[in-house]
Amino acid sequence: MKQNMLTKFMQATSGDEDVRVRKIECGISVTVVCMDTMSDDGKVSSYVLQPLAYINEATGLTDIYTRLMAGATCTKVTSLEKALENYSNGHTIVFDDDGNAVSVDTRTSLVRAIAEPPTSMVLRGPREGFVEDVKINITLLRKRLKTPDFKYVNISVGKYTNTAVSVCYIDSVADKAVVDDIIQRISAIKTDGIMDSSYIARYLDKNKTLLFRRVGITEKPDIAVAKMLEGRVAIIVDGSPMVLTLPYLFMEDIQSPGDYYENSTMTALSRTLRFISVLASLLLPALYVCLQVYNYQIIPIKFLITLMNASESIPFSPLSEMLLVLIIFDILREANLRMPSAVGISLSLVGAIVLGDAAVKAGLLGAPAVMIGALSGIGLFTLPDNTLVLSLLRLLLTFIGGTMGLLGVTLAMMAVIFYLASLQSNKSPFLAPYAPAVPQDLQDGLMQDPVPSMKKRPRSISNKNKTRRG
Amino acid sequence: MYNIKKVFIFIAVVVLIALIAGSFVGEDLVGRAIIIGLGIDTCEEGVRVTAEIVSPASSGEQIGTFSKTVSADGKSLATAISRIAELTGKEASLGRCLIVIFGQNYYEQRDLSNEIEFLIMSDSFKESSVICCAEGSAEEMFNKGAAMSQGVSLTLSSMFKTQTKQTAIVTNTLLQYTLSQRSLLKTGYMNQVRFIPSNNVNTNEPDKAQGYFDLRNIAIFGENKYMCMLSDAEIRGLALLNADVIGSTFVCTEDDKQLTVTINSKNIGLSLNQDDTVKCKIELMGKVVRTDSGEVEGPLVSQDTKDLSPQVIEDIVKQATEDVNALLEKQREYNFDVVKLHETFRRKNGDSKQLDELATADIKVELNVTFKEK
Amino acid sequence: MSKDRISINQYALMYLLLIAGGKFLNLPSILAADVGHDSWLTIAFSFVWDAVCLVFLLWAIKINKDSQLDLSAILSKTVGKVVSKIVLVIFFVMFVVRTNILLAACYKMFAVTFDVSTNWIVFVLPVVALSVLTLKLGFTSVARASQLLFGIIFICVVSLLFSPIAQVEFGSLLPIGEAGWGKIFSTSFLRSFWFTDYVFIYLLLDNVKVKNKVFSPVLTAFAVGAVLTVAMNAIFVALYGSLASQFDLAMSKIGVHFVSNSSNGRWDWLTLSVWLISVFIKIVVFFYCAYKCLEKIFEFNSDKINFWAVGAITLLYMLPMFISTEIALNTVVQYGLLVFALVQYVLPIAMPFLTKAAQIKTAAEKGEQPQKASADKVKEKIGV
Repeated sequence: MKQNMLTKFMQATSGDEDVRVRKIECGISVTVVCMDTMSDDGKVSSYVLQPLAYINEATGLTDIYTRLMAGATCTKVTSLEKALENYSNGHTIVFDDDGNAVSVDTRTSLVRAIAEPPTSMVLRGPREGFVEDVKINITLLRKRLKTPDFKYVNISVGKYTNTAVSVCYIDSVADKAVVDDIIQRISAIKTDGIMDSSYIARYLDKNKTLLFRRVGITEKPDIAVAKMLEGRVAIIVDGSPMVLTLPYLFMEDIQSPGDYYENSTMTALSRTLRFISVLASLLLPALYVCLQVYNYQIIPIKFLITLMNASESIPFSPLSEMLLVLIIFDILREANLRMPSAVGISLSLVGAIVLGDAAVKAGLLGAPAVMIGALSGIGLFTLPDNTLVLSLLRLLLTFIGGTMGLLGVTLAMMAVIFYLASLQSNKSPFLAPYAPAVPQDLQDGLMQDPVPSMKKRPRSISNKNKTRRG
Repeated sequence: MYNIKKVFIFIAVVVLIALIAGSFVGEDLVGRAIIIGLGIDTCEEGVRVTAEIVSPASSGEQIGTFSKTVSADGKSLATAISRIAELTGKEASLGRCLIVIFGQNYYEQRDLSNEIEFLIMSDSFKESSVICCAEGSAEEMFNKGAAMSQGVSLTLSSMFKTQTKQTAIVTNTLLQYTLSQRSLLKTGYMNQVRFIPSNNVNTNEPDKAQGYFDLRNIAIFGENKYMCMLSDAEIRGLALLNADVIGSTFVCTEDDKQLTVTINSKNIGLSLNQDDTVKCKIELMGKVVRTDSGEVEGPLVSQDTKDLSPQVIEDIVKQATEDVNALLEKQREYNFDVVKLHETFRRKNGDSKQLDELATADIKVELNVTFKEK
Repeated sequence: MSKDRISINQYALMYLLLIAGGKFLNLPSILAADVGHDSWLTIAFSFVWDAVCLVFLLWAIKINKDSQLDLSAILSKTVGKVVSKIVLVIFFVMFVVRTNILLAACYKMFAVTFDVSTNWIVFVLPVVALSVLTLKLGFTSVARASQLLFGIIFICVVSLLFSPIAQVEFGSLLPIGEAGWGKIFSTSFLRSFWFTDYVFIYLLLDNVKVKNKVFSPVLTAFAVGAVLTVAMNAIFVALYGSLASQFDLAMSKIGVHFVSNSSNGRWDWLTLSVWLISVFIKIVVFFYCAYKCLEKIFEFNSDKINFWAVGAITLLYMLPMFISTEIALNTVVQYGLLVFALVQYVLPIAMPFLTKAAQIKTAAEKGEQPQKASADKVKEKIGV
């Protein structure tokens, strides 16, 4: 029976081109197995082969395990599944003839350098970003949380990928019920593989949010730690630099990583500006269309004359014109993400000059429509994580505004607000601290209080300890 | 089955959205004849309406030309406006109408009740719009647009709303005029607009009309019928009794020198005595006008605190009293009330038939005018 | 956590929005036709009655804090199931009629003021769709949304109301009481149908989260709403004088004076649109209440939306296509006034006693003292 573990292991890995097997006599006969592509030759040699090669009086695998294995991470393996998992992760497995096995961590470190993440650039503040390796990411958190209260739970997810997922939290701050709930949900995931943390995010999002996500994402360790200090849980997925945070509030989209490193007054202004720009991005195209078609009385006379001058020769209705502008802008945005950098500049020129300027001069589109479409498009990027959702909403609102006027826009905005107000993220209302009103949490809402005066943890997030600074 | 259900729901939602979207009727800007000014004259058929419509500039037209005038006849105001829609081929929209001008041939001969009723009851028509009458025809007035950089309607409405308050010109909105014609003595006033031509010094366009509008004249209406025009002194008296306007000027002589004093604020109090005499108290505050004064405390106001002599003050009070008395006398003569004497009775005793029948001549007014240099 | 929970603070804010929502449309012209420039007095007296009843109702909510009984349970245990259902039917009719009148006023506002021409069905359907969405999402979403939007709606209302202050001659409201104090009092009763906006809390009695204060937030909100409404009426009547009875969209008329210069455009319509949100919230709340009445009357499953009930209410909202709102209002005043007064004025005063009696009866049925509410309701820190 015990012999079968090695046999079964060899059967399971038969056909693998990168399996390496060495039989060594060191008092007992041991078989050393490792994966060429996932393990580091130097570590295999210095942690396993060399110690084994220079002894010849080992009495058993336990003896080898306790006296000779040089690797820092050395564990006994009792099941075939665990042996295969560790082998797949780059460990070296040492089998004896009785079928016992020991696993030594000899993983190769194929990872990119720690650099500033492109999605969260700041003027002030740390410039470290998470990478694709879960251990390094945990190290980045550990660097900032030098406390025994920092805990994490490892879970393996994915039948074929066996992706390591670490659920990190601060024991004396996070709500244990929330942590347990998250661990349970991750453990219950049944899937072939996890390619990225966004896969986990889909499973963590209860009730499958239609539009707005309810799981936070960050690429910066300082932000992840700050969120953990408020009672949130960070979830690190091996192979992804995006760390998930739960619970998640809509307000976090308006906050920027650099906010806490700037003067609080400037931060308040910036956040207000972001919020207004998002509102303007959503509503400007819709209002532009609906005011022209239904409520021209609202438009000041001189602007009315400008609009009439601009739209007199346009062959499209205001609604079609604006939808065309918005769709063209979205096409440009998508193409920009995918185009090779070599043709990037040419395509930008095509977009700007041909589609914008030439279309206006040819009388296909009006200059006000192009300007409003561009302004609206740029404003969307103040909330970069929600660009697609806001773009879709913008199209919907424009269509509704053009067909139903102010009534439609009003009802549509109310529906969106009702929907957002109904969302919860692990016991935390999505629109907190504004709906419901949590006065204490307004210290870090649109207006931000100076950091020294934020003495309490947010009430919107379920946590154990309400007072910061112990 | 689940997918079919989803498909059906999707189709139903799309059809519903299409139905709802198609049921809302709107019109593009270029499909509307946006009327910014309305002129009403009389004609054989009944009413001749001249509308100043916002019109996009064509290439070659000079900058600033953004409107054109269209005239149409009809039996009533409504039919004439719908004729305008036919002539322009666009939907006539009154929502941005800034001014309504009644031509002289119309207001001197006809009852304005139908037109006022039509305008005031129209929800899209703003009752804060300016209403006035013209010397001559309203159509001619609107065709003076070439002389104006902004068109007639914008020019006039801007003058009425912003400039008049500082230059002692009383104005009226549609709402105030309508209320005055419906309550108590049912009398009120409208400004009369005159176009004063001036010499054309532009040799490039010798035929182009040049000139400006004068809004100072006041026409009195009773139950929407023309009654009389006020003289200059009566107009000054009306300005003095109107709490919304300042800028009345008085020319006095002191030591053989001419002094001009302007009123920069005033308090007006109307109250009813026990013996049913209306006590009218006017406190004027003003300063000497100097052309080199800065912006402090308003234009044309002296920066020096020159003490006016008691004779000058007495002269000012005398002139003001004369002007107000001239208006009050005219009110008695023609039996109208534009200074709310009847309102004073109503506020104390409430509405009654006797009050409606109370002639202005039967109201005794105790006038007290004072002036303070400030 | 129930998706229909509402806190006392949210109730207070919603109540203020509901006061501001419905009374600035055609009520001022109706009252101006009745009592002329003393309409503001009529409104003030109506609010006095409302204040008295509100105090009793809040007392009942405070008593019900731990037991969290709903209206149907309270009435069934005290006055019987039949009477309970009759009361719910009266509520249902009241909510439907009030919503119809509101919808008609809104329709007119959009059709006449905003120049959005469409037919009644196409106007009502999107509003009904929004209301059904509320049913699905839960009343908590409406309560939270009201909290979120309260600030901007309040600012818009105040700016609209007080923009024409410089042009208003409040002296034209003199002499006070010219219509006769008897007529002013009687009109405040005849038009009581427009008031008592607090009634929506009846259908949420089992979902009110009470922490500390009950009276002060709600009464403060009520006072502010009452002052705004009285001020609005006074301004409207002072501004429009004898024309006030002919303009049945008071808020849009007041807004005309928002911009001094005509060439600036009707910016007041944008603030008007924001204020209209409070009207739509009122319609949504009343739809919810009407649905809940049907749910209690016919005792159907509260977990899923009953589309028969939704369809029935939607059909009733089509009535203004066949009956004018003026006829509906006159009918209500003629036949329904006393009946509605029972639930508007008598029921709140009786509620504390009925609630207490129901509590005692419930405890007796359980054979123990009234228990605290279940742990998850009490221990909820955040949730509303």
